[in-house]
Amino acid sequence: MNETTAEETSETPMEREPQRRIVEAVILSSPDPISAARIAEVLPRCNPSQVRAIVRDLNEEYVARHSAFEIWEVAGGYQMRSLPEFAPYLRQIQKTRPLRLSQAALETLAIIAYRQPVARAELEQVRGVDVGGVLHSLLERDLIRVAGHREVPGRPMVYGTSRRFLEVFGLAKLGDLPALREVAELGVADEEEEASPAVEAPTVASESPEGEATRIECAPDGTA
Amino acid sequence: MSAPTPDAPWSAAASPAADGYAVKLPLFEGPLDLLLHLIRINEVEITDIPIASIAEQYLAALELMRDLDLDVAGEYLLMAATLAWIKSRMLLPPDPSQADEEGGDPRAELVARLLEYQRFKEVAQEFDGRQLLGRDVFAAQGAEPEPLPEAEREIEVGIFQLVEAFRKALLRSGPKGVPHEVEVETVTVRDRILVVMQALATRESCDFEEFLFDAGRPVSREVLVATFLAMLELTRLEAIGLYQGIDAEGVPVGPIHLRRRGEIVDGTWMERISELM
Repeated sequence: MNETTAEETSETPMEREPQRRIVEAVILSSPDPISAARIAEVLPRCNPSQVRAIVRDLNEEYVARHSAFEIWEVAGGYQMRSLPEFAPYLRQIQKTRPLRLSQAALETLAIIAYRQPVARAELEQVRGVDVGGVLHSLLERDLIRVAGHREVPGRPMVYGTSRRFLEVFGLAKLGDLPALREVAELGVADEEEEASPAVEAPTVASESPEGEATRIECAPDGTA
Repeated sequence: MSAPTPDAPWSAAASPAADGYAVKLPLFEGPLDLLLHLIRINEVEITDIPIASIAEQYLAALELMRDLDLDVAGEYLLMAATLAWIKSRMLLPPDPSQADEEGGDPRAELVARLLEYQRFKEVAQEFDGRQLLGRDVFAAQGAEPEPLPEAEREIEVGIFQLVEAFRKALLRSGPKGVPHEVEVETVTVRDRILVVMQALATRESCDFEEFLFDAGRPVSREVLVATFLAMLELTRLEAIGLYQGIDAEGVPVGPIHLRRRGEIVDGTWMERISELM
């Protein structure tokens, strides 16, 4: 790491110019977010941390020349995206209908994002309503996925967020989800299994998304 | 589902429709949502709900929903029962034998649920406020739609493509004309099945060619043959599928992919195969 940082700083943006154009072309033409490591593979004498530095240069360049797009880091890779101010125009030329998420979909997605892997019954407990239809539509839109079964009677399916979820919500990784607001200080006893809410709530806030990210990578064995 | 307009809970906006009037009522996302709304318009604390008054307003809301011929879902009725139960408990003097168990306040569990639900409602709002792909921002789509290894652009590989790929791999495989070395390499199809499965344990698909190299060098012909048979066996067992992209004319092009099949998320995938072998 230290070595790469040194390399990174020894080159000025100007010296990186040819590589910069290559990185730009690679990201532009990639149909999916492309990782720094993957970009480094096609660049001679370049490591992932240099790629990251180049992406920073590019974004600075785009700002300086009032570009209509910028590079985002989403779902572990880079992607070129238009600036939000152009959305009203771009929506009109899209082949697919613009993304619309109902309140029910957003709430359900929020719970899944923080509580994954989570079973339907737990989602219904939190929301107080049936979530069958919402789950179906979220699955259909590829925003969530079945993350396995719970080894309890009935083997209920458990759900987690998908890679597509990270892309749509502009998150580089699950750990980038905003922390859940803590309710611990209110001193309210949560459910019976959460006997000490003062400890439980902050744990959910800070660790859950991180911890689940690893679980996602080993999805096939993901049975709880 | 239309967005709730919580500030006007009972005002039914009527709009002319083909046959009379279609009544549009603000939608609540369920009993908890309705309760949170009542708590907000009454300007009371979630942690100190005036249960008698809130329960009354809650029932009034249900009445109105029923008057408007709305299907009042069971969840709403269940909550009404819960509120009535809490209200009755509040009227009783605290039971000393249960004091340590429930902490005294019969509202505690409901309060916890409301707080939790409110927390996720806030997250939902935060989610909605993000710059969403396909709504606020749009991604560069890549160049021409190449035959991508996506399910809809792929066909299952036929035996000819497979044999062709195998033949190419054989040509590349380790030297066959070198002075003969007597070295018994015992590689079984079973071994290679395990290698293929291992590779697919953490990924959904991988490249056919991946198995033809070991640390950058082509594998021996024996390993190659065993690998090929392993793939055929796994395909026969329907544990994997073999796919290849197609071009605009529908001609298969590009590398062959192996993809897990069936209950891919099921942790028993490997066990199942081991049983079949």
